[in-house]
Amino acid sequence: MARIEVKSEITGTVWQIKMQAGDTVASGDTLIVIESMKMEIPVIAEDGGTLVEILVQEKDPVAEGQVVAILEE
Amino acid sequence: MPWQAEIDELHRRRALAEACGGPEAVARHHAQGKLTVRERINALVDAGTFREVGKLAGKGTYDSGGQLTGFEPAPYVMGIAKINGRPLAIGGEDYTIRAGTGFGSDRRKGGQGGFIEDLAFQYRIPLVNLIDGTGGSVNTAKRKGYTVVPGYGQDGMERSADLLGVVPVVSAVMGTTAGGPAMRAILSHWSIMVKGTGHLFAAGPPVVERAFGQRLSKEDLGGTAVAVDRAGTIDNVASSEADCFAQIRRFMSYMPQNVWNLPPQLDVGDPVDRCEGALASIVPRADRQAYNMRTLLGMIVDRDSWFEIQPGFGRAIITALARLNGKVVGIIASNPMVGGIMDVKAARKQGHFTELCDMFNIPLLLFADVPGLMVGLESEAAAILREGVRARFIGFQVSVPVITVIIRKCYGVAGGGFTDRGGLNFKIAWPSAQWGSLPVEGGVKAAYKREIASAPDPVARECELEAELRALASPFRTAEAFAVEDIIDPRETRPYLCQFIDACQDRLATQLGPKLRAGVRP
Repeated sequence: MARIEVKSEITGTVWQIKMQAGDTVASGDTLIVIESMKMEIPVIAEDGGTLVEILVQEKDPVAEGQVVAILEE
Repeated sequence: MPWQAEIDELHRRRALAEACGGPEAVARHHAQGKLTVRERINALVDAGTFREVGKLAGKGTYDSGGQLTGFEPAPYVMGIAKINGRPLAIGGEDYTIRAGTGFGSDRRKGGQGGFIEDLAFQYRIPLVNLIDGTGGSVNTAKRKGYTVVPGYGQDGMERSADLLGVVPVVSAVMGTTAGGPAMRAILSHWSIMVKGTGHLFAAGPPVVERAFGQRLSKEDLGGTAVAVDRAGTIDNVASSEADCFAQIRRFMSYMPQNVWNLPPQLDVGDPVDRCEGALASIVPRADRQAYNMRTLLGMIVDRDSWFEIQPGFGRAIITALARLNGKVVGIIASNPMVGGIMDVKAARKQGHFTELCDMFNIPLLLFADVPGLMVGLESEAAAILREGVRARFIGFQVSVPVITVIIRKCYGVAGGGFTDRGGLNFKIAWPSAQWGSLPVEGGVKAAYKREIASAPDPVARECELEAELRALASPFRTAEAFAVEDIIDPRETRPYLCQFIDACQDRLATQLGPKLRAGVRP
Protein backbone atom coordinates (compact mmCIF):
# COMPACT_ATOMS: atom_id res chain seq x y z
CA MET A 1 0.00 0.00 0.00
CA ALA A 2 1.61 3.20 -1.15
CA ARG A 3 0.95 6.28 0.94
CA ILE A 4 0.36 9.38 -1.15
CA GLU A 5 0.61 12.91 0.21
CA VAL A 6 -1.75 15.37 -1.45
CA LYS A 7 -0.50 18.96 -1.38
CA SER A 8 -2.16 22.33 -1.82
CA GLU A 9 -1.01 24.16 -4.98
CA ILE A 10 -1.57 27.51 -3.36
CA THR A 11 -1.61 29.55 -0.15
CA GLY A 12 -5.13 30.32 1.04
CA THR A 13 -7.94 29.25 3.34
CA VAL A 14 -9.82 25.96 3.35
CA TRP A 15 -13.23 26.73 1.86
CA GLN A 16 -14.86 23.31 1.62
CA ILE A 17 -13.97 19.72 2.46
CA LYS A 18 -15.47 17.60 -0.31
CA MET A 19 -14.60 14.07 0.82
CA GLN A 20 -14.16 12.10 4.03
CA ALA A 21 -11.73 9.52 5.40
CA GLY A 22 -12.59 6.09 4.03
CA ASP A 23 -13.97 7.43 0.72
CA THR A 24 -12.79 5.86 -2.50
CA VAL A 25 -11.07 8.48 -4.62
CA ALA A 26 -10.59 8.44 -8.38
CA SER A 27 -7.86 10.33 -10.22
CA GLY A 28 -9.13 13.87 -10.88
CA ASP A 29 -11.53 13.98 -7.92
CA THR A 30 -11.67 17.19 -5.91
CA LEU A 31 -10.84 16.52 -2.24
CA ILE A 32 -10.79 20.04 -0.85
CA VAL A 33 -11.50 23.52 -2.17
CA ILE A 34 -9.10 26.28 -1.13
CA GLU A 35 -10.14 29.90 -1.29
CA SER A 36 -7.32 32.13 -2.44
CA MET A 37 -7.23 35.50 -4.16
CA LYS A 38 -11.05 35.45 -4.40
CA MET A 39 -10.87 32.19 -6.37
CA GLU A 40 -11.99 28.67 -5.49
CA ILE A 41 -9.00 26.44 -6.17
CA PRO A 42 -9.62 22.70 -6.04
CA VAL A 43 -7.13 20.29 -4.47
CA ILE A 44 -7.32 17.40 -6.91
CA ALA A 45 -6.18 13.79 -6.37
CA GLU A 46 -3.68 12.92 -9.08
CA ASP A 47 -3.92 9.21 -8.30
CA GLY A 48 -6.87 7.10 -7.23
CA GLY A 49 -7.06 5.26 -3.90
CA THR A 50 -8.65 5.38 -0.49
CA LEU A 51 -8.74 8.62 1.46
CA VAL A 52 -6.95 7.94 4.75
CA GLU A 53 -7.11 11.35 6.32
CA ILE A 54 -7.91 15.01 5.64
CA LEU A 55 -5.37 17.01 7.62
CA VAL A 56 -7.15 20.37 7.58
CA GLN A 57 -10.53 21.78 8.60
CA GLU A 58 -12.73 24.38 6.98
CA LYS A 59 -11.40 27.93 7.50
CA ASP A 60 -7.86 26.67 8.27
CA PRO A 61 -5.07 28.63 6.59
CA VAL A 62 -2.92 26.50 4.25
CA ALA A 63 0.46 27.22 2.68
CA GLU A 64 1.63 26.38 -0.83
CA GLY A 65 2.99 22.82 -0.85
CA GLN A 66 1.37 21.95 2.50
CA VAL A 67 0.20 18.34 2.78
CA VAL A 68 -3.58 18.53 3.22
CA ALA A 69 -4.65 14.91 2.74
CA ILE A 70 -3.28 11.37 2.76
CA LEU A 71 -4.34 8.75 0.25
CA GLU A 72 -3.53 5.08 0.17
CA GLU A 73 -3.18 3.45 -3.21
CA MET B 1 53.13 0.01 -43.18
CA PRO B 2 55.78 2.65 -42.53
CA TRP B 3 53.74 4.40 -39.82
CA GLN B 4 52.62 1.36 -37.86
CA ALA B 5 54.36 2.44 -34.64
CA GLU B 6 52.80 5.89 -34.70
CA ILE B 7 49.36 4.54 -35.54
CA ASP B 8 49.66 2.09 -32.64
CA GLU B 9 50.70 4.98 -30.39
CA LEU B 10 47.65 6.97 -31.50
CA HIS B 11 45.30 4.13 -30.59
CA ARG B 12 47.08 3.59 -27.29
CA ARG B 13 46.65 7.27 -26.41
CA ARG B 14 42.99 7.19 -27.39
CA ALA B 15 42.45 4.20 -25.08
CA LEU B 16 44.14 6.12 -22.25
CA ALA B 17 41.76 9.04 -22.81
CA GLU B 18 38.76 6.75 -22.72
CA ALA B 19 39.73 5.57 -19.26
CA CYS B 20 38.67 9.03 -17.94
CA GLY B 21 40.06 9.54 -14.41
CA GLY B 22 40.88 5.82 -14.01
CA PRO B 23 38.83 2.86 -12.73
CA GLU B 24 38.67 4.04 -9.10
CA ALA B 25 37.49 7.57 -9.93
CA VAL B 26 34.96 6.21 -12.42
CA ALA B 27 33.64 3.72 -9.83
CA ARG B 28 33.23 6.53 -7.28
CA HIS B 29 31.40 8.60 -9.89
CA HIS B 30 29.08 5.69 -10.79
CA ALA B 31 28.38 5.04 -7.10
CA GLN B 32 26.83 8.52 -6.90
CA GLY B 33 24.39 7.55 -9.61
CA LYS B 34 26.25 9.56 -12.26
CA LEU B 35 27.42 8.49 -15.71
CA THR B 36 30.82 9.59 -17.01
CA VAL B 37 30.81 12.40 -19.57
CA ARG B 38 31.58 9.88 -22.33
CA GLU B 39 28.67 7.67 -21.30
CA ARG B 40 26.43 10.75 -21.11
CA ILE B 41 27.26 11.96 -24.60
CA ASN B 42 26.65 8.51 -26.09
CA ALA B 43 23.36 8.14 -24.19
CA LEU B 44 22.15 11.53 -25.41
CA VAL B 45 23.03 11.64 -29.11
CA ASP B 46 21.88 9.46 -32.03
CA ALA B 47 23.70 6.11 -31.75
CA GLY B 48 27.17 6.06 -33.26
CA THR B 49 27.21 9.73 -34.29
CA PHE B 50 29.66 11.21 -31.74
CA ARG B 51 32.87 12.36 -33.45
CA GLU B 52 35.27 13.51 -30.77
CA VAL B 53 37.74 16.36 -31.22
CA GLY B 54 40.81 16.80 -29.03
CA LYS B 55 40.84 13.34 -27.49
CA LEU B 56 44.64 13.41 -27.22
CA ALA B 57 44.71 16.61 -25.17
CA GLY B 58 45.95 16.22 -21.61
CA LYS B 59 49.15 15.90 -19.64
CA GLY B 60 51.63 13.19 -20.49
CA THR B 61 54.53 12.11 -18.32
CA TYR B 62 57.65 10.71 -19.95
CA ASP B 63 60.71 8.70 -18.98
CA SER B 64 64.23 9.86 -19.79
CA GLY B 65 64.03 8.09 -23.11
CA GLY B 66 60.99 10.14 -24.14
CA GLN B 67 58.53 7.24 -23.75
CA LEU B 68 55.05 8.02 -22.43
CA THR B 69 54.69 6.59 -18.92
CA GLY B 70 51.44 8.18 -17.81
CA PHE B 71 48.60 10.30 -19.17
CA GLU B 72 45.93 12.46 -17.54
CA PRO B 73 43.28 13.40 -20.13
CA ALA B 74 42.02 16.98 -20.32
CA PRO B 75 38.93 17.11 -18.07
CA TYR B 76 36.65 18.18 -20.92
CA VAL B 77 35.23 15.96 -23.66
CA MET B 78 33.71 17.44 -26.81
CA GLY B 79 32.92 16.99 -30.47
CA ILE B 80 30.06 16.93 -32.92
CA ALA B 81 27.17 14.48 -33.10
CA LYS B 82 23.54 14.30 -34.18
CA ILE B 83 20.27 14.56 -32.31
CA ASN B 84 17.08 13.65 -34.18
CA GLY B 85 19.28 13.34 -37.30
CA ARG B 86 20.55 16.94 -37.13
CA PRO B 87 24.15 17.95 -36.35
CA LEU B 88 25.08 19.70 -33.12
CA ALA B 89 28.12 20.58 -31.05
CA ILE B 90 28.37 18.93 -27.64
CA GLY B 91 30.74 18.95 -24.70
CA GLY B 92 30.99 18.35 -21.00
CA GLU B 93 33.40 18.36 -18.07
CA ASP B 94 34.90 15.05 -16.98
CA TYR B 95 34.28 15.17 -13.24
CA THR B 96 36.42 12.05 -12.69
CA ILE B 97 39.51 14.14 -13.49
CA ARG B 98 40.22 16.77 -10.84
CA ALA B 99 36.48 17.50 -10.50
CA GLY B 100 36.32 18.82 -14.06
CA THR B 101 38.49 21.89 -13.47
CA GLY B 102 40.62 23.42 -16.26
CA PHE B 103 43.85 21.85 -17.49
CA GLY B 104 45.72 24.99 -18.36
CA SER B 105 46.18 24.64 -22.13
CA ASP B 106 46.62 27.73 -24.30
CA ARG B 107 43.37 26.93 -26.06
CA ARG B 108 40.34 25.67 -24.16
CA LYS B 109 38.41 22.68 -25.47
CA GLY B 110 35.13 24.14 -24.22
CA GLY B 111 33.01 24.71 -21.16
CA GLN B 112 33.56 28.45 -20.92
CA GLY B 113 34.18 29.48 -24.46
CA GLY B 114 36.79 27.33 -26.23
CA PHE B 115 36.91 25.27 -29.41
CA ILE B 116 33.47 23.66 -29.23
CA GLU B 117 31.70 26.97 -28.63
CA ASP B 118 33.67 28.55 -31.49
CA LEU B 119 32.64 25.62 -33.67
CA ALA B 120 28.95 26.01 -32.82
CA PHE B 121 29.28 29.72 -33.67
CA GLN B 122 31.21 29.25 -36.92
CA TYR B 123 29.16 26.29 -38.20
CA ARG B 124 25.88 27.76 -36.89
CA ILE B 125 24.77 24.54 -35.22
CA PRO B 126 23.18 24.10 -31.76
CA LEU B 127 25.35 23.58 -28.67
CA VAL B 128 24.62 21.28 -25.74
CA ASN B 129 26.66 21.70 -22.52
CA LEU B 130 26.66 18.78 -20.09
CA ILE B 131 27.87 20.62 -17.01
CA ASP B 132 29.59 18.80 -14.18
CA GLY B 133 32.46 21.00 -13.06
CA THR B 134 33.29 23.10 -10.08
CA GLY B 135 35.05 25.94 -11.88
CA GLY B 136 38.12 27.78 -10.70
CA SER B 137 40.38 26.51 -7.98
CA VAL B 138 42.84 28.33 -5.74
CA ASN B 139 45.37 25.81 -7.03
CA THR B 140 45.52 27.74 -10.32
CA ALA B 141 47.66 30.32 -8.54
CA LYS B 142 50.15 27.59 -7.60
CA ARG B 143 50.38 26.43 -11.19
CA LYS B 144 50.69 29.92 -12.70
CA GLY B 145 52.65 31.62 -9.95
CA TYR B 146 50.20 34.54 -9.92
CA THR B 147 46.49 35.16 -9.50
CA VAL B 148 44.24 36.35 -12.31
CA VAL B 149 41.58 39.05 -12.52
CA PRO B 150 38.20 37.42 -13.32
CA GLY B 151 37.47 37.90 -17.00
CA TYR B 152 41.18 38.19 -17.88
CA GLY B 153 42.67 36.31 -20.83
CA GLN B 154 40.70 33.22 -21.75
CA ASP B 155 37.42 34.16 -20.19
CA GLY B 156 35.39 32.81 -23.09
CA MET B 157 32.03 33.97 -21.77
CA GLU B 158 31.79 36.56 -24.54
CA ARG B 159 31.51 33.69 -27.04
CA SER B 160 28.85 32.05 -24.86
CA ALA B 161 26.96 35.34 -24.99
CA ASP B 162 27.37 35.63 -28.82
CA LEU B 163 25.87 32.17 -29.24
CA LEU B 164 22.61 33.24 -27.61
CA GLY B 165 21.82 35.36 -30.66
CA VAL B 166 22.51 32.74 -33.34
CA VAL B 167 22.04 29.08 -32.36
CA PRO B 168 20.04 27.17 -29.72
CA VAL B 169 22.12 26.57 -26.58
CA VAL B 170 21.12 24.00 -23.97
CA SER B 171 22.75 23.51 -20.57
CA ALA B 172 22.28 20.48 -18.35
CA VAL B 173 23.40 20.77 -14.72
CA MET B 174 24.49 17.22 -13.92
CA GLY B 175 26.65 17.70 -10.85
CA THR B 176 27.58 20.25 -8.21
CA THR B 177 28.18 23.46 -10.13
CA ALA B 178 29.51 26.83 -9.03
CA GLY B 179 31.55 29.70 -10.44
CA GLY B 180 32.30 29.71 -14.17
CA PRO B 181 30.38 26.54 -15.05
CA ALA B 182 27.36 27.91 -13.16
CA MET B 183 27.56 31.07 -15.28
CA ARG B 184 27.84 28.89 -18.37
CA ALA B 185 24.67 27.04 -17.33
CA ILE B 186 22.69 30.26 -17.24
CA LEU B 187 24.02 31.55 -20.58
CA SER B 188 21.66 29.23 -22.42
CA HIS B 189 18.24 29.28 -24.06
CA TRP B 190 17.03 26.39 -21.98
CA SER B 191 18.50 24.60 -18.99
CA ILE B 192 17.74 21.48 -17.00
CA MET B 193 18.99 20.05 -13.69
CA VAL B 194 19.11 16.44 -12.57
CA LYS B 195 17.27 16.06 -9.26
CA GLY B 196 19.45 14.80 -6.42
CA THR B 197 22.83 15.04 -8.19
CA GLY B 198 22.60 18.48 -9.79
CA HIS B 199 23.28 21.58 -7.66
CA LEU B 200 23.95 25.17 -8.63
CA PHE B 201 25.08 28.09 -6.49
CA ALA B 202 27.21 31.22 -6.47
CA ALA B 203 29.23 29.52 -3.72
CA GLY B 204 28.84 26.21 -1.94
CA PRO B 205 28.02 25.30 1.68
CA PRO B 206 31.56 25.81 3.15
CA VAL B 207 31.68 29.42 1.88
CA VAL B 208 28.15 30.08 3.15
CA GLU B 209 29.01 28.68 6.56
CA ARG B 210 32.06 30.94 6.80
CA ALA B 211 30.06 33.99 5.77
CA PHE B 212 26.89 33.51 7.77
CA GLY B 213 27.53 30.64 10.14
CA GLN B 214 24.63 28.91 8.46
CA ARG B 215 24.96 25.19 7.84
CA LEU B 216 23.18 23.98 4.73
CA SER B 217 23.48 20.89 2.59
CA LYS B 218 24.21 21.22 -1.13
CA GLU B 219 20.62 20.14 -1.77
CA ASP B 220 19.22 22.81 0.61
CA LEU B 221 21.33 25.52 -0.98
CA GLY B 222 21.25 24.73 -4.67
CA GLY B 223 19.13 21.66 -5.39
CA THR B 224 16.16 21.70 -7.75
CA ALA B 225 13.76 22.99 -5.05
CA VAL B 226 15.79 26.23 -4.88
CA ALA B 227 17.52 26.63 -8.27
CA VAL B 228 14.53 25.57 -10.36
CA ASP B 229 11.27 25.97 -8.45
CA ARG B 230 12.04 28.97 -6.23
CA ALA B 231 14.65 30.89 -8.19
CA GLY B 232 13.89 29.90 -11.79
CA THR B 233 17.65 30.08 -12.42
CA ILE B 234 17.42 26.70 -14.16
CA ASP B 235 14.31 25.94 -16.21
CA ASN B 236 13.33 22.29 -15.88
CA VAL B 237 13.90 19.30 -13.56
CA ALA B 238 14.98 15.85 -14.71
CA SER B 239 14.18 12.88 -12.46
CA SER B 240 17.29 11.01 -13.66
CA GLU B 241 20.12 11.34 -16.17
CA ALA B 242 18.09 9.25 -18.66
CA ASP B 243 15.14 11.63 -18.21
CA CYS B 244 17.52 14.57 -18.69
CA PHE B 245 18.67 13.23 -22.08
CA ALA B 246 15.08 12.50 -23.15
CA GLN B 247 14.07 16.09 -22.30
CA ILE B 248 17.08 17.59 -24.14
CA ARG B 249 16.19 15.59 -27.27
CA ARG B 250 12.62 16.74 -26.89
CA PHE B 251 13.54 20.43 -26.51
CA MET B 252 15.85 20.21 -29.52
CA SER B 253 13.00 18.80 -31.64
CA TYR B 254 11.28 22.23 -31.52
CA MET B 255 14.39 24.27 -32.27
CA PRO B 256 15.72 25.37 -35.65
CA GLN B 257 19.43 24.75 -36.32
CA ASN B 258 20.03 28.50 -36.10
CA VAL B 259 18.24 31.84 -36.52
CA TRP B 260 18.53 31.61 -40.32
CA ASN B 261 16.35 28.47 -40.41
CA LEU B 262 12.76 27.76 -39.43
CA PRO B 263 11.96 25.22 -36.70
CA PRO B 264 11.37 21.69 -38.02
CA GLN B 265 7.82 20.62 -38.83
CA LEU B 266 6.54 17.27 -37.64
CA ASP B 267 3.24 15.87 -38.85
CA VAL B 268 1.81 13.40 -36.34
CA GLY B 269 -1.38 12.87 -38.30
CA ASP B 270 -3.61 14.70 -35.82
CA PRO B 271 -6.54 16.06 -37.90
CA VAL B 272 -6.67 19.85 -38.15
CA ASP B 273 -10.47 19.79 -37.85
CA ARG B 274 -10.48 17.84 -34.58
CA CYS B 275 -13.01 19.71 -32.41
CA GLU B 276 -13.15 18.51 -28.80
CA GLY B 277 -16.68 18.74 -27.37
CA ALA B 278 -15.36 19.13 -23.82
CA LEU B 279 -13.94 22.58 -24.67
CA ALA B 280 -17.49 23.96 -24.67
CA SER B 281 -17.92 23.14 -20.97
CA ILE B 282 -14.43 23.32 -19.46
CA VAL B 283 -14.76 26.93 -18.21
CA PRO B 284 -17.16 27.07 -15.23
CA ARG B 285 -19.91 29.71 -15.37
CA ALA B 286 -18.98 30.89 -11.86
CA ASP B 287 -15.88 32.97 -12.46
CA ARG B 288 -14.61 32.23 -8.95
CA GLN B 289 -14.12 28.61 -9.96
CA ALA B 290 -10.84 27.45 -11.42
CA TYR B 291 -10.33 24.98 -14.29
CA ASN B 292 -7.32 23.19 -15.67
CA MET B 293 -5.71 25.27 -18.42
CA ARG B 294 -3.26 22.44 -19.28
CA THR B 295 -6.18 20.10 -19.98
CA LEU B 296 -7.80 22.82 -22.10
CA LEU B 297 -4.64 23.42 -24.16
CA GLY B 298 -3.98 19.69 -24.49
CA MET B 299 -7.25 19.41 -26.41
CA ILE B 300 -6.16 22.11 -28.87
CA VAL B 301 -2.52 21.38 -29.79
CA ASP B 302 -1.27 18.43 -31.86
CA ARG B 303 -1.38 15.12 -30.03
CA ASP B 304 1.75 14.50 -27.86
CA SER B 305 3.29 17.82 -28.90
CA TRP B 306 3.21 19.56 -25.48
CA PHE B 307 6.54 20.44 -23.83
CA GLU B 308 6.41 22.77 -20.86
CA ILE B 309 9.24 25.19 -20.07
CA GLN B 310 9.68 26.15 -16.39
CA PRO B 311 6.65 24.19 -15.14
CA GLY B 312 7.55 24.71 -11.47
CA PHE B 313 8.48 28.43 -11.47
CA GLY B 314 6.19 31.44 -11.78
CA ARG B 315 3.22 29.14 -11.88
CA ALA B 316 0.63 31.87 -12.56
CA ILE B 317 1.79 31.57 -16.18
CA ILE B 318 2.19 28.39 -18.22
CA THR B 319 4.82 28.50 -20.98
CA ALA B 320 5.09 25.61 -23.43
CA LEU B 321 6.34 24.65 -26.85
CA ALA B 322 3.83 22.68 -28.89
CA ARG B 323 2.71 22.11 -32.48
CA LEU B 324 -0.34 23.01 -34.52
CA ASN B 325 -0.73 21.09 -37.78
CA GLY B 326 2.93 20.14 -37.38
CA LYS B 327 4.26 23.70 -37.00
CA VAL B 328 6.01 24.78 -33.80
CA VAL B 329 4.19 27.35 -31.67
CA GLY B 330 5.03 28.97 -28.34
CA ILE B 331 2.19 29.05 -25.83
CA ILE B 332 1.82 31.51 -22.98
CA ALA B 333 -1.28 30.86 -20.89
CA SER B 334 -2.69 32.01 -17.58
CA ASN B 335 -2.98 29.32 -14.93
CA PRO B 336 -6.31 29.75 -13.11
CA MET B 337 -5.43 26.85 -10.78
CA VAL B 338 -3.13 29.22 -8.93
CA GLY B 339 -5.30 32.29 -9.48
CA GLY B 340 -3.68 33.38 -12.76
CA ILE B 341 -2.55 36.67 -11.22
CA MET B 342 0.72 37.96 -12.69
CA ASP B 343 3.42 38.09 -10.00
CA VAL B 344 7.09 39.02 -10.45
CA LYS B 345 8.12 35.45 -11.18
CA ALA B 346 5.40 34.92 -13.76
CA ALA B 347 6.35 38.23 -15.41
CA ARG B 348 10.01 37.18 -15.65
CA LYS B 349 8.96 33.83 -17.07
CA GLN B 350 6.68 35.41 -19.68
CA GLY B 351 9.37 37.87 -20.81
CA HIS B 352 12.04 35.20 -21.17
CA PHE B 353 9.79 32.81 -23.07
CA THR B 354 8.59 35.58 -25.40
CA GLU B 355 12.19 36.40 -26.25
CA LEU B 356 13.09 32.73 -26.81
CA CYS B 357 10.23 32.27 -29.29
CA ASP B 358 10.97 35.54 -31.05
CA MET B 359 14.65 34.67 -31.46
CA PHE B 360 13.87 31.35 -33.17
CA ASN B 361 10.89 32.53 -35.25
CA ILE B 362 8.27 30.61 -33.31
CA PRO B 363 4.83 32.30 -33.46
CA LEU B 364 3.19 32.98 -30.11
CA LEU B 365 -0.26 31.99 -28.92
CA LEU B 366 -1.46 33.78 -25.78
CA PHE B 367 -4.35 32.26 -23.82
CA ALA B 368 -5.64 34.80 -21.33
CA ASP B 369 -7.42 34.36 -18.02
CA VAL B 370 -5.62 37.04 -16.09
CA PRO B 371 -7.28 39.18 -13.41
CA GLY B 372 -4.30 41.56 -13.26
CA LEU B 373 -0.94 42.16 -11.63
CA MET B 374 -0.41 40.87 -8.10
CA VAL B 375 -1.36 43.59 -5.61
CA GLY B 376 -0.15 44.19 -2.06
CA LEU B 377 2.93 45.42 -0.25
CA GLU B 378 4.99 42.28 -0.78
CA SER B 379 4.37 42.37 -4.52
CA GLU B 380 5.05 46.12 -4.81
CA ALA B 381 8.29 45.70 -2.85
CA ALA B 382 9.31 42.88 -5.20
CA ALA B 383 8.95 45.38 -8.11
CA ILE B 384 5.82 43.96 -9.71
CA LEU B 385 5.38 47.07 -11.85
CA ARG B 386 8.93 47.02 -13.15
CA GLU B 387 8.84 43.27 -13.84
CA GLY B 388 5.35 43.48 -15.32
CA VAL B 389 6.25 46.41 -17.56
CA ARG B 390 9.52 44.72 -18.61
CA ALA B 391 7.49 41.72 -19.80
CA ARG B 392 5.29 44.15 -21.74
CA PHE B 393 8.36 45.91 -23.20
CA ILE B 394 9.74 42.60 -24.47
CA GLY B 395 6.31 41.91 -25.94
CA PHE B 396 6.33 45.25 -27.79
CA GLN B 397 9.54 44.25 -29.59
CA VAL B 398 8.56 40.82 -30.90
CA SER B 399 8.67 40.27 -34.64
CA VAL B 400 6.83 36.92 -34.78
CA PRO B 401 3.08 36.72 -35.38
CA VAL B 402 1.07 36.68 -32.15
CA ILE B 403 -2.52 35.50 -31.71
CA THR B 404 -4.46 36.16 -28.50
CA VAL B 405 -7.23 33.84 -27.35
CA ILE B 406 -9.17 35.34 -24.44
CA ILE B 407 -10.59 32.41 -22.49
CA ARG B 408 -11.96 34.30 -19.51
CA LYS B 409 -10.52 37.34 -17.76
CA CYS B 410 -8.26 39.87 -19.43
CA TYR B 411 -7.73 42.90 -17.21
CA GLY B 412 -5.34 45.77 -16.79
CA VAL B 413 -1.60 46.01 -17.38
CA ALA B 414 -1.18 42.24 -17.17
CA GLY B 415 -4.11 41.69 -19.57
CA GLY B 416 -2.50 44.05 -22.07
CA GLY B 417 0.54 41.76 -21.96
CA PHE B 418 -1.61 39.11 -23.61
CA THR B 419 -2.13 41.22 -26.72
CA ASP B 420 0.20 41.92 -29.62
CA ARG B 421 0.99 45.64 -29.64
CA GLY B 422 3.84 45.40 -32.13
CA GLY B 423 2.02 43.57 -34.91
CA LEU B 424 -1.49 42.74 -36.07
CA ASN B 425 -3.13 43.01 -32.64
CA PHE B 426 -5.26 39.96 -33.47
CA LYS B 427 -7.53 38.85 -30.63
CA ILE B 428 -10.18 36.17 -30.61
CA ALA B 429 -12.35 35.35 -27.61
CA TRP B 430 -14.43 32.54 -26.22
CA PRO B 431 -18.01 33.40 -25.16
CA SER B 432 -16.79 33.13 -21.54
CA ALA B 433 -14.46 36.10 -22.02
CA GLN B 434 -14.61 39.36 -20.04
CA TRP B 435 -12.21 42.27 -20.10
CA GLY B 436 -11.53 45.86 -19.20
CA SER B 437 -9.21 48.14 -17.28
CA LEU B 438 -10.34 46.48 -14.08
CA PRO B 439 -13.20 44.17 -13.04
CA VAL B 440 -16.62 45.81 -12.49
CA GLU B 441 -16.64 44.70 -8.85
CA GLY B 442 -14.44 47.11 -6.93
CA GLY B 443 -14.05 49.25 -10.05
CA VAL B 444 -17.52 50.70 -9.50
CA LYS B 445 -16.72 51.60 -5.92
CA ALA B 446 -13.67 53.56 -7.04
CA ALA B 447 -15.17 55.33 -10.07
CA TYR B 448 -18.57 56.26 -8.57
CA LYS B 449 -17.47 56.92 -4.99
CA ARG B 450 -19.30 60.24 -4.57
CA GLU B 451 -22.44 59.12 -6.39
CA ILE B 452 -22.74 55.96 -4.25
CA ALA B 453 -22.09 57.84 -1.02
CA SER B 454 -24.74 60.49 -1.73
CA ALA B 455 -27.45 57.99 -2.81
CA PRO B 456 -30.36 57.38 -0.39
CA ASP B 457 -29.46 53.66 -0.39
CA PRO B 458 -25.73 53.44 -1.21
CA VAL B 459 -25.66 49.62 -1.36
CA ALA B 460 -28.60 49.49 -3.77
CA ARG B 461 -27.02 52.23 -5.94
CA GLU B 462 -23.76 50.32 -6.11
CA CYS B 463 -25.60 47.15 -7.22
CA GLU B 464 -27.51 49.15 -9.84
CA LEU B 465 -24.35 50.68 -11.25
CA GLU B 466 -22.64 47.27 -11.32
CA ALA B 467 -25.59 45.73 -13.19
CA GLU B 468 -25.58 48.60 -15.70
CA LEU B 469 -21.89 48.20 -16.41
CA ARG B 470 -22.03 44.42 -16.48
CA ALA B 471 -24.64 44.55 -19.26
CA LEU B 472 -22.17 46.59 -21.31
CA ALA B 473 -19.43 44.04 -20.61
CA SER B 474 -20.92 41.36 -22.89
CA PRO B 475 -18.18 40.27 -25.33
CA PHE B 476 -20.74 40.41 -28.15
CA ARG B 477 -20.95 44.21 -27.78
CA THR B 478 -17.19 44.44 -28.17
CA ALA B 479 -17.36 42.15 -31.24
CA GLU B 480 -20.06 44.40 -32.76
CA ALA B 481 -17.64 47.30 -32.46
CA PHE B 482 -14.88 45.08 -33.99
CA ALA B 483 -12.85 45.83 -30.86
CA VAL B 484 -12.26 42.10 -30.59
CA GLU B 485 -11.71 40.52 -33.99
CA ASP B 486 -13.80 37.38 -33.37
CA ILE B 487 -15.71 35.36 -30.85
CA ILE B 488 -15.40 31.67 -31.56
CA ASP B 489 -17.08 28.49 -30.40
CA PRO B 490 -14.45 26.98 -28.07
CA ARG B 491 -14.62 23.74 -30.04
CA GLU B 492 -13.43 25.56 -33.19
CA THR B 493 -10.22 26.76 -31.50
CA ARG B 494 -7.93 24.11 -32.99
CA PRO B 495 -9.00 24.40 -36.66
CA TYR B 496 -9.11 28.21 -36.36
CA LEU B 497 -5.58 28.51 -34.95
CA CYS B 498 -4.13 25.83 -37.24
CA GLN B 499 -5.23 27.79 -40.30
CA PHE B 500 -3.67 31.04 -39.10
CA ILE B 501 -0.45 29.32 -38.04
CA ASP B 502 -0.26 27.74 -41.52
CA ALA B 503 -0.91 31.12 -43.10
CA CYS B 504 1.89 32.92 -41.22
CA GLN B 505 4.66 30.55 -42.34
CA ASP B 506 5.58 32.73 -45.33
CA ARG B 507 5.97 35.69 -43.03
CA LEU B 508 8.30 33.68 -40.79
CA ALA B 509 10.34 32.44 -43.78
CA THR B 510 10.97 36.01 -44.91
CA GLN B 511 12.20 37.44 -41.60
CA LEU B 512 15.01 35.02 -40.76
CA GLY B 513 18.34 36.08 -39.31
CA PRO B 514 19.71 37.60 -36.10
CA LYS B 515 17.47 40.05 -34.26
CA LEU B 516 19.16 43.08 -32.85
CA ARG B 517 17.37 44.99 -30.15
CA ALA B 518 17.46 48.70 -29.59
CA GLY B 519 16.57 50.53 -26.40
CA VAL B 520 17.01 50.12 -22.69
CA ARG B 521 14.76 47.58 -21.04
CA PRO B 522 12.83 49.03 -18.13
